[in-house]
Amino acid sequence: MDNHTIFRFIRPGLQTTIQDKGRSGYQHLGVPQGGVLDKHAAKIANWLVGNNEHNPVLEIPLAGPSIEITGKCQIALTGADLSATIDGKAIKMYRSIKVKSGSVLSFGKLISGCRTYLSIGGIWDIKPWLSSFSASASNIEKMTPGSLMNKGHFLKVKINKFIPKRKFPKSERPVFKSSLSIRVLGGPEYKEFPSAFIRTFFNQSYQLTKQFNRMGCRLTGKTEGYRETREIISSAAIPGTIQITNSGQPIILMNDAPTTGGYPRIANVISKDSDKLAQLKTGDKIKFILVALEDIWKT
Amino acid sequence: MIFKPFGDSALLIEFEQKITTEINQMVNALCKAIDNETITGIDICIPAYCSVTVLFNPLEISYRTLCRQISNLDFKISKKTIVRTLNIPVCYHKSFSLDFDILQKQTKLKKEEMIEIHKNGTYRVYMMGFLPGFAYIGKLPEALHCKRKANPRQNIPAGSVGIAGQQTGIYPGKSPGGWQIIGRTPLPVFQPESINPFLFKPGDIIKFHDISIDKFRQISNDLSTDKFNLNQIYG
Repeated sequence: MDNHTIFRFIRPGLQTTIQDKGRSGYQHLGVPQGGVLDKHAAKIANWLVGNNEHNPVLEIPLAGPSIEITGKCQIALTGADLSATIDGKAIKMYRSIKVKSGSVLSFGKLISGCRTYLSIGGIWDIKPWLSSFSASASNIEKMTPGSLMNKGHFLKVKINKFIPKRKFPKSERPVFKSSLSIRVLGGPEYKEFPSAFIRTFFNQSYQLTKQFNRMGCRLTGKTEGYRETREIISSAAIPGTIQITNSGQPIILMNDAPTTGGYPRIANVISKDSDKLAQLKTGDKIKFILVALEDIWKT
Repeated sequence: MIFKPFGDSALLIEFEQKITTEINQMVNALCKAIDNETITGIDICIPAYCSVTVLFNPLEISYRTLCRQISNLDFKISKKTIVRTLNIPVCYHKSFSLDFDILQKQTKLKKEEMIEIHKNGTYRVYMMGFLPGFAYIGKLPEALHCKRKANPRQNIPAGSVGIAGQQTGIYPGKSPGGWQIIGRTPLPVFQPESINPFLFKPGDIIKFHDISIDKFRQISNDLSTDKFNLNQIYG
């Protein structure tokens, strides 16, 4: 018998997808870069099971799957706490876990954050598309078949030799707060907004609406001082860009956002804070802090 | 050219903010010059109508160094630049052209006149975006300028040719969309499973050719049986 372990999805979860570092390099042809939203969580998850840091992982938002595991394996969970259990027994996050054949891995109540990352030690039996295993941003079943978990779906992994147990120190694990500050740089159209609106933008806490996914997060807040700017000729839109829609409300673009857009770009989230966006959910509060490009790499 | 930081890992280079052939040619020439220079730390150049976005790794190159290196590049539009011309067959038959009735009200033109204007234009791919393989093709002659649909359609078939504002475009796969649909091409604009999935690229010159519904079926058939040589569309 080969050393493949089968993961069968008894319940698929809300939107469980395979993700890796994404497919940057095709944006000029309209292909979003995609990839894991919380890069740090995915990297640690892979480290915990001895994988390369860019190995694919499962990204599990809000409501997790139920997975029947046939064959043994070593797994790890990082990111959001989704009350994971194996055969009904709670398991700890941020450490390598050996799983026996016939076990069922399930997820329950969301305790903190938004997205859990599940790594499996070994080589995943999946096909890349444009040099990435990440689920496509659109038309998933046609472009990247098998990257979105459906009921009854099978995932096959050729299991590596188990590594000695690893644990990621508690003191270094992120704490997911429901109210947070996000550092931004002024965006390309920053100077075109009325100063009264710029004040509104930075002086308030925005709230994340129900409309958020891997493409973008719509926020809601006060619009005092907002006035429509000139019409923008469409130009590139990159993850972390904060656009202001015609109603004066912000949208933060995420990894699966279309590669171009026509809304004015007020600000851009700095790379160091982008992982935090991945763990936001409806109702969470965000305050934007303006920083200078020169200061980012000092801290 | 105006250089603007675009987040901490991208540089936005803006040309005069206008949609013109000359400016878009400059955009493509700059992208080419940057690609040829192979500057360490650059991930990709994304051209748009009148801007270029350069994604870079700030751990490998600083924003300032990148700006300096790019502003030192010598690039110009030359007649020698090899540009592809693609001849795209379009069937304007009523079974594919869903919106001529609405367009008649907006443009005050007859269907035949609209087809004539659309197919006689010479266009370029100004930018790609919206969906993988979707090309923003322009500029549409002013007589055909029209509004997007107030309520976008949920399912537009692949190959549908749409118009909106001063642009025309072809839906690469079944997708939602708000452009007015005037015809369909039998050609595959986007084939994810192919080695080269993209029919278009930024800077391509596009010409449309009016084909009958019978010809549309024949080409579709030939494509499905591998009898259609795609090379014949390049001219």
